[in-house]
Amino acid sequence: MALASISTVALSMAILGTFILMVLGSHRFAERQLERFEIAVYLPVGADLADANRVRDEIKSLPLTSKVDLLSRDAEWNKLKLKLNTNIDLGGIANNPLPYALNVESRDSRRTSELADKIGKIKGIDAVNDYKKIYGSVKTIADLVRILGFAASIILCLTTTFIISNAIRLTVFARRHEIRIMQLVGATNWFIRIPLVIEGIVIGAAGAFIAYGLISVSSHYTVGVLQRQVMPILRDISSGVSPTQFMTTLTCTGAAIGALGSYISIRRFLKV
Amino acid sequence: MIEYCDVSLVYPNGVQALSDVNLRVGKGDFLFVVGASGSGKSSLLKLTYRELLPTKGRVFVGQEDVTKTARSAVPYLRRKIGVVYQDFKLLPQKTVWENLAFVLRVTSVPRKEIRKRICEALELVGMMHRCDSFPTELSGGEQQRASIARALVNNPPILIADEPTGNLDPDTSWGIMQILSRINTARGTTVVVATHDNQVVDRMMRRVVAVEGGKIIRDQDRGTYHDEASEPESLCKSELTEY
Repeated sequence: MALASISTVALSMAILGTFILMVLGSHRFAERQLERFEIAVYLPVGADLADANRVRDEIKSLPLTSKVDLLSRDAEWNKLKLKLNTNIDLGGIANNPLPYALNVESRDSRRTSELADKIGKIKGIDAVNDYKKIYGSVKTIADLVRILGFAASIILCLTTTFIISNAIRLTVFARRHEIRIMQLVGATNWFIRIPLVIEGIVIGAAGAFIAYGLISVSSHYTVGVLQRQVMPILRDISSGVSPTQFMTTLTCTGAAIGALGSYISIRRFLKV
Repeated sequence: MIEYCDVSLVYPNGVQALSDVNLRVGKGDFLFVVGASGSGKSSLLKLTYRELLPTKGRVFVGQEDVTKTARSAVPYLRRKIGVVYQDFKLLPQKTVWENLAFVLRVTSVPRKEIRKRICEALELVGMMHRCDSFPTELSGGEQQRASIARALVNNPPILIADEPTGNLDPDTSWGIMQILSRINTARGTTVVVATHDNQVVDRMMRRVVAVEGGKIIRDQDRGTYHDEASEPESLCKSELTEY
C-alpha cells in the first residue's frame, strides 16, 4: 500500500516539479529579454564632446541608471559606412554627419520607460529611443507568463495535494482496524496520529525524491537535445534553480503535502 | 460502579434501541445482560465506554457522568474499562504478546512494568504458552482468551464482554465464562457480560438483567436465562415497574 502511495506521489510531484521548472524558465527567459532593452540617447547635430560628457554625467546621476556608454562618433560612422556601402554611395559625404549618441541601461528592467522619460527631460538632448512599443509587448508577455504560471502552479499544487492525500488515505484506510482498536483500548488521538503523519511525511518525501530523479534524468536527455539540435534559443531557458536547491524544495514540499494528506485522512477515522 | 439513569437511545435511522433504562451495577458485581439479537443489550454496554451517547439520560462510570465526558477525555475513560468483543478484535499482524504490549504502550506503561503485567494477564487466562502465536494461528477459544487478557492487562476496575461466546462451541464457551468468573472473584473486577447463550447463563446462576425491545424486563439475582418463576409475560413487566 505504501509503495502504491509512493509511486502516486512520485508521478504527481514529477508533473508538478516539471511544470514549476518550466514556469520559472519561461519567466526568467522573458525577464532576460526585458533586460536586453537599452535606451538610445541622441544629442543634436553640432553638439560637441563637452556637451556629450555633461549629458552622460547627468544620466549617470539618475538613480535608475546602471550603465551609460558614450558611443564614439567615428566608430559609429565607420560601422554605418560598412553597412551601407553596398547599397548607397557615401563617397560624397566627407565629414561625419552623425550626432553624439549614448546607450543607457536601466538598473530595473521593468522601469526602463520611466528612466527614458527622466532622460528626455535633460537639456541638450535631441531624441530618446526606448523602443516603447516592442518593450511594452515583451513586458506584457513577461507579465502574462508570470501571472498565468503562478496561477497554474497554485492549481496544480492543490490538485497534487488532493491526489497525494487520496493516495495516503488508502494507506490510512488499510489500517482503519488498527486505528479502531487503538481507540477502543484508550489511545489518545495524538498517539494514533503521530506515527501515521510520520508515515505520510516519509511517503511524501520518498515520492518527491523519486520525482526529482525522474525529472533530472528526463531533462538531461530531452532538454539537452532540444537545446543543442532543435532550438538554440532554448539555451537561454533555464530555471536558474540549482539541482540541490530544487531537490531540497521538492522533497520538503512532498514531505509537507504528505503530512497534510495524512492529517486530513486520519481526521475522519478519529471521530470518537 | 456503573449506573444508567433514565437512559434512552434512538439511532439516527429512527430505531429506538433503549427506552428509559434504569440500572445499577455495584462494584465487584457479575452481571449477565440477556436478550434476543436487536434487543438493545450491546447498545446498553456501548454507552459505558462512550462508543455511543444516549439521546436522553445519564450514564455514570464510577463518579463520572460519561455523557458529559469531553471527547479528548474519552481515551482516559476507556483505559478504566476492559472490553471483550465477539469478534476478538486482535491485531492480526501482531503476536498475542505484542497485542497486549500494544495496549500498555498506548497507555504509556513503563517498559519494565509491561513484561510483568503481560505475564500476569496471560497466566490468568492460561495463554502463556501461546504468547508468540499470531491470532490466525489460534483457535476461536484461544483468540477469545487472548482478547480477555488484553482487556485485563491494564488492570481495569470494569470488564465488559459483548457476546464473548457468540462464536464458540459450548465447552469453550463454558471455559471462557469460568475465566471471567475467576477474574471477578480473584481481582474484584466488575464484570458485565451481554449474551444470548442460555446454557452458560443457566449454569452460572448469577445476576441476570433481561432486555427486550430496549427495556429492562427483568433484573434477578442468581437468575436464569428465561424467567422460570414468572412465565406469563405480564409478571415480567411488573418486575420492571418495581425496579
